[in-house]
Amino acid sequence: MLQTGNYSLVLLIQLSLLVYDLFVNSFSELLRGAPVIQLVLFIIQDIAILFSVIIILLMMFNTYVFQVGLVSLLLERFRALLIFSALYLTLSICLHCWVLNLRWIQSDRFVWTDGLQALFVFQRTAAVLYYYLYKRTAEYMGDPRLYEDSLWLRDAFSRARQ
Amino acid sequence: MEKGGTKKMRPRELPPLPQRGQRSLPTMPSQNTDGEVPAPKHKKKRVRKDVSVDDMEDQGMEMGGVCSRRTSETGERLALESSSDAPPQRRKKKKKAATTDAEDDQADLVNGDTAEQTTDGEEVVKKPKKKKKPKVAESQLPDEISVEEDDIITDTPTPIPQHALFSAPQSQSQPVGKVFVERNKRFQAAERSDWRKTSDQVDNMNDFQHVQPLWTTRDVSIRVHEGFRVFGLYCHGFLAGYAVWNVVVVYMLAGQHLTALSNLLEQYHGLAYPSQSLLYMLLAISTVAAFDRVNLAKGSKALREFITLDPVALASFLYFSALVLSLSQQMTSDRINLYPAFNTTLWPPGSEHQILHPWVTINLVVALLVGVAWIFIATRPETDYTEDYLMTMEVEPPKDDKSEMMA
Repeated sequence: MLQTGNYSLVLLIQLSLLVYDLFVNSFSELLRGAPVIQLVLFIIQDIAILFSVIIILLMMFNTYVFQVGLVSLLLERFRALLIFSALYLTLSICLHCWVLNLRWIQSDRFVWTDGLQALFVFQRTAAVLYYYLYKRTAEYMGDPRLYEDSLWLRDAFSRARQ
Repeated sequence: MEKGGTKKMRPRELPPLPQRGQRSLPTMPSQNTDGEVPAPKHKKKRVRKDVSVDDMEDQGMEMGGVCSRRTSETGERLALESSSDAPPQRRKKKKKAATTDAEDDQADLVNGDTAEQTTDGEEVVKKPKKKKKPKVAESQLPDEISVEEDDIITDTPTPIPQHALFSAPQSQSQPVGKVFVERNKRFQAAERSDWRKTSDQVDNMNDFQHVQPLWTTRDVSIRVHEGFRVFGLYCHGFLAGYAVWNVVVVYMLAGQHLTALSNLLEQYHGLAYPSQSLLYMLLAISTVAAFDRVNLAKGSKALREFITLDPVALASFLYFSALVLSLSQQMTSDRINLYPAFNTTLWPPGSEHQILHPWVTINLVVALLVGVAWIFIATRPETDYTEDYLMTMEVEPPKDDKSEMMA
């Protein structure tokens, strides 16, 4: 059974990572006085996304549903988050590489092209969907039904066996 | 055989009877023969039965159908009756009475029968009613034991509570009031009463922890969600006000019919990028909060709400549109931001109107979308489908909740 204190701590860490991610997405364009600043911010942001995904995966592995082998049930429920996490991480790394590559010599110059603008829009839009899905999933992981035997789990198990 | 057995018992039984009458009679209601008060009647029946045991057993011999059962029952009745003998005998017999409920039941039936010997036909009818009596007898017996043991036996310790299983052997071998408890890898002497109290407290604490978790993970989820919803409400309002303020400033700086665009660029270039960043942050939070209310991840339900023009679903759509529109102006905002540094290359003369007109229009549209969405949200500030779902996260859900789990 998931302890409330542990869950609160994990939820706090997850929300902190999300807040950092939102902060970097919002204000990284303002903090481009030196290219190193953006480099550090982007590296930490990508690692934070990776950490968030690892944390949510570990929480899923910790559930009773996973341990009895009903991985499909969890995947069905949290598929959207996993897809958007992978998409967002990919888009973020691509955008960060591109932007830093363009601004590395001279940080304060106009670098925008149509392609960069499109990638930027996709990355920021995916970020919002990722925030929504991640926050929702992190809250849903507090579902006590995921951590113990119950009626619906038995039903799902019997359905999976058929 | 039966007759002989009872007659053998009678000389032993008769001497303690006056003593028992003296003990138990003051606690009873004096002459209450009403059947609704089973416990006093039971005691009284026993007393009366012992006195008139001769008549009863004669009648019992004459009853043909129930006679064979009576023979065995009377033996057990004797076991029960002899428990009201002198204390050493009583202790021996009480153990038997406490362990075998069935015997007790039968013995009690015998008691009832002996009391109602006169009407033999009613006996079968009244049996279900008599079934209740053994409980009373059981609950009554331990009281008698403890009281009378305290009175008579002085050297044995006080009875141990039943749940303290592991301290039972110690109590028999240690008549003193001390027990040796292992603490910090040492055995230390402690008063038994104190130790019992602390162990009881520990038990109670364990029970409390197991039975009542004060704050479950579901509660934490709901609290976090509610906190974010309140924060989102502030963001909705702030975003609407900020977007309107931004558009007003832009239109005021641009002059009538956007004739003073160079003035706008001069004045606004420092504000353009920070305002764009702030707008993105507020839009992101507002969009997430609006999606939370719709529970967007349940696609079919969210689509149905959108088609039926649910205000909250419309608001989330408006926020998302505003977000995409606002993001599409990032390049222009950066261009405005770099106006003083790259004046000639980025802003060739005569190109201001061509670049800035869509930007101003989109800012206006974003402000309108955000304002309308805020009004939609404000009309239904309590609608929150994700919270409804979080509320259903119980351990034992109803049957129809499975479909929701799948979604």
